Amino acid sequence: MATDVLTSVAQNPSRNPPGKSGGAGMSRKRKRELILVWAFLLPSLAVFFLYRVLPLLWNAVLSFQDFSLFGETKWAGISHYQDMMEDEVFWTSLWNTLIYMASAPVGIVLALAISLMVNSNVRGKNIYRTIVFLSYPLMTVAVGIIWRWMLDEKVGLFNFILRSLHIIDHPLPFLQSFELALPSVLLANVWQILGFYMIILLAGLQNIPQNLYEAAAIDGANGRQQFFRITLPLLRPSIFLAFVIGIMTSFTSFDLVYVMTQGGPGNSSELLVTYIYKAAFVLGKIDYAAALTLVQFVLLVVLTWVGNRLSGGDAGAVETD
Amino acid sequence: MSKTLTRNPIGRALQIAVGAVCLAALSAGPAHAEQKKISFLTWNISDQADLFKEWIAEFKKIRPDVDVEWLDKKGTEFPPYYQTQVIAGTPPDIVNTQGGLWLEYAAAGGLVDITPYLAKDPDVRKRFNADYLSNWVYGGKNYMLPFYISKSLLFYNKTMFKEAGLSGEPKNFEEIMQYAEKMAKGEKTGLVTLNFDWLYWPFFKMNGVELLTPDLKKAAFNTPKAVKALEELTKATANGGINKVSWTGRWVEPNGAFAAGNVGMLHAHSPAFFFVKGQGSWVNADTLGVMNIPGGWATPNAHGWGISKGSKHPDIAWEFMKFITSDKSTQEFSKRRKVLTANIASDKVTLDAMKKDDPLAASVLQTQIQNTDKLTGNWPLANDSRVKDAFYTEIQNAVLGRKTAAAALKDAEVKVNRVLGGR
Repeated sequence: MATDVLTSVAQNPSRNPPGKSGGAGMSRKRKRELILVWAFLLPSLAVFFLYRVLPLLWNAVLSFQDFSLFGETKWAGISHYQDMMEDEVFWTSLWNTLIYMASAPVGIVLALAISLMVNSNVRGKNIYRTIVFLSYPLMTVAVGIIWRWMLDEKVGLFNFILRSLHIIDHPLPFLQSFELALPSVLLANVWQILGFYMIILLAGLQNIPQNLYEAAAIDGANGRQQFFRITLPLLRPSIFLAFVIGIMTSFTSFDLVYVMTQGGPGNSSELLVTYIYKAAFVLGKIDYAAALTLVQFVLLVVLTWVGNRLSGGDAGAVETD
Repeated sequence: MSKTLTRNPIGRALQIAVGAVCLAALSAGPAHAEQKKISFLTWNISDQADLFKEWIAEFKKIRPDVDVEWLDKKGTEFPPYYQTQVIAGTPPDIVNTQGGLWLEYAAAGGLVDITPYLAKDPDVRKRFNADYLSNWVYGGKNYMLPFYISKSLLFYNKTMFKEAGLSGEPKNFEEIMQYAEKMAKGEKTGLVTLNFDWLYWPFFKMNGVELLTPDLKKAAFNTPKAVKALEELTKATANGGINKVSWTGRWVEPNGAFAAGNVGMLHAHSPAFFFVKGQGSWVNADTLGVMNIPGGWATPNAHGWGISKGSKHPDIAWEFMKFITSDKSTQEFSKRRKVLTANIASDKVTLDAMKKDDPLAASVLQTQIQNTDKLTGNWPLANDSRVKDAFYTEIQNAVLGRKTAAAALKDAEVKVNRVLGGR
């Protein structure tokens, strides 16, 4: 309600003419409305400022300092950013993060296929829905531990199945291989988030009016045509939502990688977010970690901006009508 | 006046309340001011909560004017928690830490130099095994007292030795590699090692490799001996002699693999024994062998007590540390946790009792106080964690087949020198 009032105040110039915003020209009712709005907003804004804006500002300052936990902090200029340019682990982790993000569309495609299946009249569809969704509420740490054992070279389920089917002769060291470690984590990540994507897409599918399909069928459209001409276009908002959430969560995904590989072997599965943790709390380079965090923040802002543009430029806007 | 008050019950109630608060403040004030409070932070040892509460209660009898608070954090939470407390200006007075973390804190001036306290209380110094106590020296100053100790040793599966036709313990690095390869078959591998905190370093040290120059300013490991040792480790890893989890897992996976009965030898520190025993039904004195690694080299992974520089009561903190490292306190801790503490008298009592109750555990713990003059992998480096990271990622590159041993060591040398040079 408060935001509606604020939005209407901000967006309706006739109610708040130029040159008369507040002061003597403002009616008592308008003043009371504004006070009410700010009274509702202030606690949230204060919390947001204290726990989001302030740490971010401090983090930005920290990234230009030589920080010492116990001693004197000195100005370092852009030296941490210069170090970053030469830091191969940073570039590896950035590249891995981009790959990790790219797994979101793969998951969405899979989820779409599953959603279409469980949205049809297939027998036991509720059971399938439950099974697919079950992975999502699981604790990520638990998922990591389960997958670590399943991918074990000696006693893992995957190697057992692959060898039983004679697909491989020798067991694959999924998590001990520079080439397979990151794909293995990605697999676990997609498996876990699949249920979430499915729920979003399923909700979208169920919002598509059935009469559109009936009309299309009467016009002679086959299943493929119905999918590409009706389902996919009308599912666009749901796909976009899943895509944005997938990209954002991929960018900040920490626990799965940390539990499954700790960024290794070497730095082959290091993500930007795990590297930030490692730099700050393992290597004791808090100032350098702050610089990495700022870079990650800028990338997130860019991603959000791109996402907003792709959605038509008004994502998050409040509809007043 | 009284009439007015009677007519105004709210005003009267307020006056009474203010008076009561003032009286309470006056009566409680002096005693409250004398009461002091210290806190101690432990590293993932919440299972000893009862004992710590007993320590606090006993210390209260000695120092009724001191309240002691205990906090415990898991390993991953410990550094963020301690560091944020330091920044907030409220660090715990006493901190229990391990690995290279204390070195960073000490080098940055975050810990109190306890050398003067030790000089003032020479009996405290005498309590401890001198080698373990010197493990906590940085820049000629002592920063911590031992809490509990462990160092690496070699466990072996006697059944797998027998099946592979191996008789007797391996006597050198080459024999360890040969034994490992002989036991590698199908799902079975010959050797697994822990890899954190330089725990794998004895494999290099026993080949005569030094990590750094004596002044600790430059890398000294890029030698033909090191290349050969790394090639051997790589070869054994490739042919299954060494389980790959040695170079990727941290604690649970390597120990779990050995406990499953599929690994011939486990190079780990003493706490691994209790995990393995708990997980592996096959473990008993007839099936599990215990030995110091050939040459006697071992990497310590001991825990110690230090005083935060930000402590408001460092003298009381020292008093508490003296109390909890006393013969009586350590003996009780040692008995309950089944670890040694580097307190010479207490460890003797623990081992004597354990030899009767659990001879196998006693044989494991006995190794922890042998060859203490051959501790390695514990360089007093302020940036130990960075050196460790620079070196180990290249070792992984070699043993997991991404680079040749020579190339990995060459790259490691560049990286380690860069860290040592302050980059």
